[in-house]
Amino acid sequence: MAIDYRKEQGLQGTVEQRVVYESGNEMAAYAAHQINYHIMGYFPISPSTEVAQFLDLMKANGQHDIVLIPADGEHGSAGVCYGASTGGGRVFNATSANGYLYMLEQMPVQSGTRFPMVMNLVCRSVSGPLDIHGDHSDLYFALNTGWPIVLCRDPQAVYDMNIIALKLAEDPEVRLPVLVASDGYFTSHQKRRVMTFAKREDVHAFVGEKPPEGFAHVLDRDNPITVGPYMNEPDYINNCYQQSMAMYRAEGVYDRIRQEYAALTGRDYPVLDLYRMEDAEAAVFLLNSSAEIVKDVVDQLREQGVKAGAISPNLIRPFPAKAIAEALKGVKAVTIGDRADSYGGHGGNMTIEVKAALQTYGNTETLVVSRIYGLGGKDFYAEDGFKLFEYAIEAAEKGFVEKPFDYHGHTPGDPAKAPKRVLEPMRYEDLKTGLITVTPDETTGKVNVRVPPLRALTKKPKRIAPGHGACPGCGIFSGLELFFKGIEGDIVALFQTGCAMVVTTGYPYSAHKATYIHNLFQNGAATLSGVVEMFHERKRRGELDHLGLKDDFTFVMITGDGGMDIGMGPAIGAALRGHRMIILEYDNEGYMNTGAQLSYSTPLGHRTSTSNVGKAQTGKVFHHKDTAQIMAATNIPYVFTGSEAFAPDLLRKAAKAQWYAQNVGLVYGKILITCPLNWLSEDKDGSTIIDYAVNTCFFPLYEVERGLTNITYNPEEKGKRVPMLEWLKLMGKTRHLAKPENAELLQEFEAEIERRWNMLKAKHESPYL
Amino acid sequence: MTSAVSPSHADANESKAFSQKWISLAGNGGTMAKSNHICIMFAAYSPAWSSQSMRKGIGQHMVTLPKVNELGFFELRLESIGGLGANLAGKMLAEAGVMGAGLNGVSFSSYGSEKKGSPVKAHIRFCDINVLIRDTSPVERPHVIGIFHENLSRTVNVISGMYEDSIVLVNSKKSPEELKSLLKLKSGTIAVVDATGIALEENNRVNMAMLGGLFRLCDFLDPEFMKGVIRKSLEKKYPLAVQPALSTFERGYQEVHFQSFELPEGDTMPSFVRMDTPVLGYETQPLGGLIVNPGNSILKDLSISRAGRLPHFAEEKCIHCAACDNVCPDFCFVWDEQPDKKGRPQMFLQGIDYQYCKGCLKCVQACPTDALSSELEVDGYADGHRTPHRFRLAT
Repeated sequence: MAIDYRKEQGLQGTVEQRVVYESGNEMAAYAAHQINYHIMGYFPISPSTEVAQFLDLMKANGQHDIVLIPADGEHGSAGVCYGASTGGGRVFNATSANGYLYMLEQMPVQSGTRFPMVMNLVCRSVSGPLDIHGDHSDLYFALNTGWPIVLCRDPQAVYDMNIIALKLAEDPEVRLPVLVASDGYFTSHQKRRVMTFAKREDVHAFVGEKPPEGFAHVLDRDNPITVGPYMNEPDYINNCYQQSMAMYRAEGVYDRIRQEYAALTGRDYPVLDLYRMEDAEAAVFLLNSSAEIVKDVVDQLREQGVKAGAISPNLIRPFPAKAIAEALKGVKAVTIGDRADSYGGHGGNMTIEVKAALQTYGNTETLVVSRIYGLGGKDFYAEDGFKLFEYAIEAAEKGFVEKPFDYHGHTPGDPAKAPKRVLEPMRYEDLKTGLITVTPDETTGKVNVRVPPLRALTKKPKRIAPGHGACPGCGIFSGLELFFKGIEGDIVALFQTGCAMVVTTGYPYSAHKATYIHNLFQNGAATLSGVVEMFHERKRRGELDHLGLKDDFTFVMITGDGGMDIGMGPAIGAALRGHRMIILEYDNEGYMNTGAQLSYSTPLGHRTSTSNVGKAQTGKVFHHKDTAQIMAATNIPYVFTGSEAFAPDLLRKAAKAQWYAQNVGLVYGKILITCPLNWLSEDKDGSTIIDYAVNTCFFPLYEVERGLTNITYNPEEKGKRVPMLEWLKLMGKTRHLAKPENAELLQEFEAEIERRWNMLKAKHESPYL
Repeated sequence: MTSAVSPSHADANESKAFSQKWISLAGNGGTMAKSNHICIMFAAYSPAWSSQSMRKGIGQHMVTLPKVNELGFFELRLESIGGLGANLAGKMLAEAGVMGAGLNGVSFSSYGSEKKGSPVKAHIRFCDINVLIRDTSPVERPHVIGIFHENLSRTVNVISGMYEDSIVLVNSKKSPEELKSLLKLKSGTIAVVDATGIALEENNRVNMAMLGGLFRLCDFLDPEFMKGVIRKSLEKKYPLAVQPALSTFERGYQEVHFQSFELPEGDTMPSFVRMDTPVLGYETQPLGGLIVNPGNSILKDLSISRAGRLPHFAEEKCIHCAACDNVCPDFCFVWDEQPDKKGRPQMFLQGIDYQYCKGCLKCVQACPTDALSSELEVDGYADGHRTPHRFRLAT
């Protein structure tokens, strides 16, 4: 069993400390709140999302002053952070995976203009089939961004490195943004005992209460500066050289800071973490959490008499090449485990860099085995560690490496269990019922729709199969299928990332009976417009003739979970280009798939995990986005709102949407749906809650057909209008708005709803609005 | 307001410190949507909590673990369904060990893509305070297994990797003998507690009763410590909730009954299969992650998602209006075309395919007649009254 070598080293520390039992994400947030950064720009993505959540909860309780800015996407969050850092204050962010890649182009801008900040990269797979679990494929993209990168193998290190990182970033010798990388889920979500500074003052004494003086920023009118000039050759290379020098200096600076930190806390993070390497003949090189697990393996191998050792850097930018080469002196063979592939590179990035280090420093003796392991969160067990050692030991014994590069932990699969079709494809004639008719009206320019009773449409096959994994009472699927009931014939659906996508396609299952595509939720509209145009062009060229298609597909993009925030640009682009497709948004008022963070469609005062309610904050601080009006302003032929609580109304709109999408151009529709889990409402009340949302006029049912607004259900005319609180009382996320102390907030919300409703009524009255 | 039984965030954030954790017991355990995790951190950061733990944890109550594996760990695995609060129960248990009993420990959940109502696991490791925890892999060889819903064994190998003498705590009304055959358990101890029944009677949460039961199994943990936490977290804001929570915990602790089974001579325990073993592989997976047999979700059985109630269908009261079909998230209503009174073809509701019903009861709310009603689920009812979908299966 493993005994704490830190204790054996007798390091005690001098500062007052306190034990907590928390996860890596909690510790990142905890360190940030002690530092009391000025600004955090962020955007939710698993598994890093919790960092912002914890900070928001602490903010609501008045425990720090960090201004938390929910950006419209990671690219936006990087922009917020960059701008904030030019203002001279302290800036913080946390992200993962695709989110990191989405902001990637901003990373060299930040480092190349030399504005320090700290960002946590909670490592996760970057992938095609969507994998949200941990590996280092995002981290490896960071290697070339010009940010120093420190690694955290456990929640304790996440806390410590977050404090060390800021001091490193702001050091006059460095002046670079620093990335703090920990393993998604393995470190971010596992709770451990962690020692912390008991007092914020002691944290400030270490990092400085304020950022160091003497560096230019944009908020000093007496010293105006130009940030980010247009700089080509021959100057740019010199900027890069400065940056390169700063990066290499960072190793020495880090080494000094970590010693100061060790003296203070008793916890030391040397550039290289060497475990029983003194006389090791076989070694394994790993990063982060698995590098800890493999130490248990080293202990067991040592007991068996094998001279085993483990080597793992705490800093990979700058890469401690010399130290690694020295540590491997005398090692007969090392297996380097890369938790991400550099496809075609004959090894992951660590393999390539370690090999380069050995070559540079004249070590031609140590044999190197490269293995890709643990991709997409595949667990690393001790038995995997033994396997990695076996490769090295075998090479050492043979004197050469039989298989220099391979994967470890992949499985061939049993041919008997290969996938077989379960369902027959839906029959076209079942989908084309003929029960719905849509006819253009020559005089009005609008279309007339006739729909049958909903009973008759139960004959139509549902496009989505039962067996999906949504929560009980989820409003997405009843809403979507009701809409699809109004669509005749075949659809091709694209779902942007979100709950609807996640719960219907958990591999190797899919609940989509019709053809379905996923793309990341900033880009669905662009992706589907590509599909649409490919269809029409291949059809025009006659390349689809042999398929015997009886009719054009209806192309439908499904978005929700905040997809119209990060995906707004591409949606507007697709609308302006006028592709023949439908964008249907299920509005669940938040990023529910990542744990109920606020989206721009979260209404004022509503509680989410990033708009908490406490003594210093009462839910979301700005109004909800009126996406239907934004899309109407692109002058597309048809925009509508609908809900399952008004089924025939939604059915008619679906039929119209199909006609416009097949004959004219892009259609946008929004259905409001209940998320009982995160609205904190009863599962059974889903339709009722939406009914109230409509009858309060929060969510008016209307359409904008060829520019003309038509309210399709007016609760005032029907005598059905209900006060806002009747609706808000049905949801745990809004119950606090009924309290007297929140009366003003409620009033502000009501006033905005009234204003929007009156505007809509005026548009309904006038063809010119 | 019985805060400890309500899945109410609204209450969670107003009460500070530990009560936040407490209330979020109702939360959404171990899933990707982890909104309720936000409630956890203040517990440990509250000065009262940590000073208490420091006082109690270091020195005074040093405990010895009943058994440990080769790395020095005593390991527990909780098998549950998102929404039953196993994730949080696991965290509280772990904290009681780490902050209350002076042990070192780690706790985490397995995170799937699916949500409330889907199977989840919580993993806990305890070891001596001086042992370093390096392992992050799931608990494959548990000394204790807590099963929060007995029907989980229909779809999950809940006892995977247990030792010959592991203890399996099951939330059930059944006898240990019955459970032994249900779980296909070869040997070990079955501990039974009717956590659902206790929770209903005490107007509290299943996980509180299970937590009580788990404390009984982990006699190195101090139930009084846990009760102190319960009392402290609730008494200020929700004094009325203290007693139900304490009673539920206490009854869970007291009402566990045990029966041990010897491994028959010559028999061996089944070896475990690693949790990360896939069905498909690189030789059988279609390129690029394509799913070439879509709609195969019909093979899944979601009945374990139901939290105790389900809709009953009274055909004679049905007017076949399809209001239920419009609101059902899980497409459980089965229709057939038949001649109406005038001989014209018309759609008629045949019944409910309970294999997919998660018991949300939206349909009952939507039904304009009494054809659909919300009833407590009785063992065997769903299987007996299921109207299966007639899918067009590929042959």
